[in-house]
Amino acid sequence: MKDRSAVVLSNERVADGVMKMILQTDDMPDDLIGGQFAHVRVPDGAHVLRRPFCICDFDVVAKTITLCYAVVGEGTAQIAAVRAGDRLDVLFPLGNGYRPTGKKIMLIGGGMGSAVLPAIVTAFPDREYTICLGFSDASKVVLTDELAAKGVKVVLATDNGTAGEKGYVTDIAAELAAKDAPDEIFCCGPEIVYKILAHKFEGSGIPVYISLEQRMGCGIGACLVCNCRVRRGDGESYARVCKDGPVFALGEVVL
Amino acid sequence: MNTCVEIAGIKFKNPIVTASGTFGFGEEYSHFYPLSALGGICTKGLTIRPKQGNPPPRATETYGGMLNAVGLQNPGVEHFLATDDKRLADEDVVVIANVAGSTLDDYIAIGERINDAHAQMVELNISCPNVKEGGMAFGVLPSSVEKVTAAVVNVCKKPVITKLSPNVANIADNARAAEAGGAAAVSLINTLSGMAVNYKTRRPVLANNNGGLSGPCVKPVALKMVWDCYNAVKIPIIGLGGITSYTDVLEFMICGARAVQVGTANFTVPTAAYDIARDLTDYVARQDMDINDLVGTLILNG
Repeated sequence: MKDRSAVVLSNERVADGVMKMILQTDDMPDDLIGGQFAHVRVPDGAHVLRRPFCICDFDVVAKTITLCYAVVGEGTAQIAAVRAGDRLDVLFPLGNGYRPTGKKIMLIGGGMGSAVLPAIVTAFPDREYTICLGFSDASKVVLTDELAAKGVKVVLATDNGTAGEKGYVTDIAAELAAKDAPDEIFCCGPEIVYKILAHKFEGSGIPVYISLEQRMGCGIGACLVCNCRVRRGDGESYARVCKDGPVFALGEVVL
Repeated sequence: MNTCVEIAGIKFKNPIVTASGTFGFGEEYSHFYPLSALGGICTKGLTIRPKQGNPPPRATETYGGMLNAVGLQNPGVEHFLATDDKRLADEDVVVIANVAGSTLDDYIAIGERINDAHAQMVELNISCPNVKEGGMAFGVLPSSVEKVTAAVVNVCKKPVITKLSPNVANIADNARAAEAGGAAAVSLINTLSGMAVNYKTRRPVLANNNGGLSGPCVKPVALKMVWDCYNAVKIPIIGLGGITSYTDVLEFMICGARAVQVGTANFTVPTAAYDIARDLTDYVARQDMDINDLVGTLILNG
């Protein structure tokens, strides 16, 4: 049976309300890809549901995964209070991640959605990436250094111009895409970003993939709690974000 | 020592059964442990036709528990018979098909259809609080509990378990009604009707507004109701509500449960039912006891 116990190597605040945690495990999978997630048990008895966090990055040799998460409630506050040396019950890797097809890949991160991008570059290092990151202001900016260290092109934007270019990441990404003509686009961000992308890239012929977020139960596809609405055939039906996703083709999801 | 229990002539190697709606059809959990480690599994609620369920969000955490309003999403009984039922036939575990409907005819139709299943027992979901036609109407009044139970028992060759709602005037009356209708056993409790509210938006958190409360917070309610029903009926009781450990199982059995179901705990720990069955077996071995000797041995204070 898989050992779910992982040792916390570090757990630090990296931006306003955002934590980065590195966990080490004896049971490191060798098929991990970006877009997959870890289901973390809150270390007390009162919280019955795990917290799904995207796997921000990983290192197969060091047997570590990095989680980057927003502190939004009591459960994440408890996870944020965990210290180096503590153990956490972590179920991973879960979900259907992102496998880039083609050579030139554009990655777009909106706010916390940026957290999913480093693992994509780590899993498929032989692609030409252009990465566009957008945040509301400078206090929210995360992961720019980590991505730059991977030797990929990073364009940063903030809504108010306090860091990087002033403007929305969707506008900047659309301009760059018009020049660079990427083979494929992957984006993780809030739903509004997906709606704008759907509008901007409709009919462009560039496949766009997105990652969804939903309240989860089991995290393994059994309880049907985290469903999203998708177009299948002529009609609409529900798909499981935890198992069929979290990565979907943009055109497939009913936003 | 003995961990084996029997309900309606069907033997469970231990009293641990997974609760409907928390375990799918077992496939996902079978990647974590062999299903044969359990006494039984209860399937996701089945309806005659496929059902899409409620819009998301469908669940939210609450203190010591959670609310869900999945709304009986399921692929329909025909799909079950053609796929999961066949896969489960190869597993050494008792399979209980949980069935739901909106009308009496629905219950009769699915009760008949299950006759072709490998599943050895049927659990009647007449207490789903999350769909308008989820059978809740059948689960409230004792007269309708008896009526729907009798109608299914009349057409179904497999032992019928009636799953009781706690959202009623007197659950013991409903247990008696199920017994009068010919139920082979009753299971209780289904979820408690509840609501979570976001003070910022002034809206309920769940898209369905209401949901069913489960998890450790409901355990005291469930224990009391199991005891009340134990004193009301002769048929076996399957107890559930907030079980997370083998000591919880012992408490339910002392209150009168012959077997138990593990639900929400499967979400907290994917191996929960396996862990509980293992720990319970270890305890029974240490005590060198027959677990059946515990059933209904509660000693009330003066």
